[in-house]
Amino acid sequence: MARITHGIASSHVPAIGAAMDLGKAGEDYWQPVFAGYEWTRRWIRDAGKPDVVILVYNDHASAFDMNIIPTFAIGAGEKFAPCDEGWGPRPVPVVQGHPDLAWHLAQCLILDEFDMTIISALEVDHGLTVPLSLMFGKVDAWPCPVVPLAVNVVTYPPPSGNRCWALGEAMRRAVTSFPDNLNVQVWGTGGMSHQLQGPRAGLINAEWDNRFLDRLVGDADELRHIPHIEYLRETGSEGIEMVMWLIMRGALGKKTRCLHRHYHVPASNTAVGHIVLESVA
Amino acid sequence: MKQNIHDYLAELEDIPGTRVYTAQRARKGYWMNQFAMSLMQDENRARWKADEKAYLADWPMSDEQRQSILDRDYNRMLDLGGNIYFLAKVFATDGLSFVQAVSTMTGMSVADYQAMMLAGGRSPEGLRSKSSGN
Repeated sequence: MARITHGIASSHVPAIGAAMDLGKAGEDYWQPVFAGYEWTRRWIRDAGKPDVVILVYNDHASAFDMNIIPTFAIGAGEKFAPCDEGWGPRPVPVVQGHPDLAWHLAQCLILDEFDMTIISALEVDHGLTVPLSLMFGKVDAWPCPVVPLAVNVVTYPPPSGNRCWALGEAMRRAVTSFPDNLNVQVWGTGGMSHQLQGPRAGLINAEWDNRFLDRLVGDADELRHIPHIEYLRETGSEGIEMVMWLIMRGALGKKTRCLHRHYHVPASNTAVGHIVLESVA
Repeated sequence: MKQNIHDYLAELEDIPGTRVYTAQRARKGYWMNQFAMSLMQDENRARWKADEKAYLADWPMSDEQRQSILDRDYNRMLDLGGNIYFLAKVFATDGLSFVQAVSTMTGMSVADYQAMMLAGGRSPEGLRSKSSGN
């Protein structure tokens, strides 16, 4: 039987990927960003090694243009190539999928009244590949298959925080009914506070972000009730990405324990947040 | 927690210095954004760089939308329905990073903007709401 043991959340700033790809990770600017991932890289190499990662991310006008806007889309293909976002594709390995688990999830979630979009041919952007680089480092092949779960947080309205949390809960039920013995992790990516547009660009709210990190731990579930407008006002227009962290949190069950936590400002325009959570109940 | 769509949209317009990518903007900017997407392909980038005006002529946009792109006036592009993730293909093709492109919307120099980010970013104080001024 498959099970969800741990969740990871992380920002997915494209400049972090570029810093790694261009060998700048050791520079003074970047060193404090990457230092906060060293614990996780060690942990995930041995004790915390997943068999599969369900990676919740958003596409940034890469695979999905204005012709298709799926609210929740699951990548069910055999593999997903990094796409060209205007700078050429990132020089990272092709992502291997897990079609058996992906289709199982899609079927279960639809029966559980989450009307998923299923995608076989999907190229993935920095939203998905930067978290892989952060956790696994520079590798010739990613160490495990990945099921991409793309969430619309670009065109309004995105799904509510409550809906995201509930999707995570349904995902936990779905994984539990998958017959293979798999250690599944759910990663929630994006955030934390940032705004990439307009005169208000550059907004950062460390206090709010840290309170959000606090409340991912333990058995509280009030984060699911934060309305979109609060993310926008308090954490910038792109801070809305944090609803994706709630899918990860919902998937960990009633209670969590924090194994590792990291927060740093800035990476490019963004506050970097990262947390590793263990499912307790 | 179900919300009335009219109240929801009104709140989104109440944030200072921010254009939330609502359906209204998305519909207005459809071709601007689709144009920007086309720059994900190398051969299109080459054609675009060779003659921007000619390249834009192929896309059914308004003259002011075309002009805002030629001017790289990102705030204007947002007003006319552009979305920053789509427009990123334009500034990436120009060889600009997110920091360089985003800072042009703030009225600050790139250096001043970067210094602000290194000092912890822009505080939300006074920038949360037009109507409440907090």
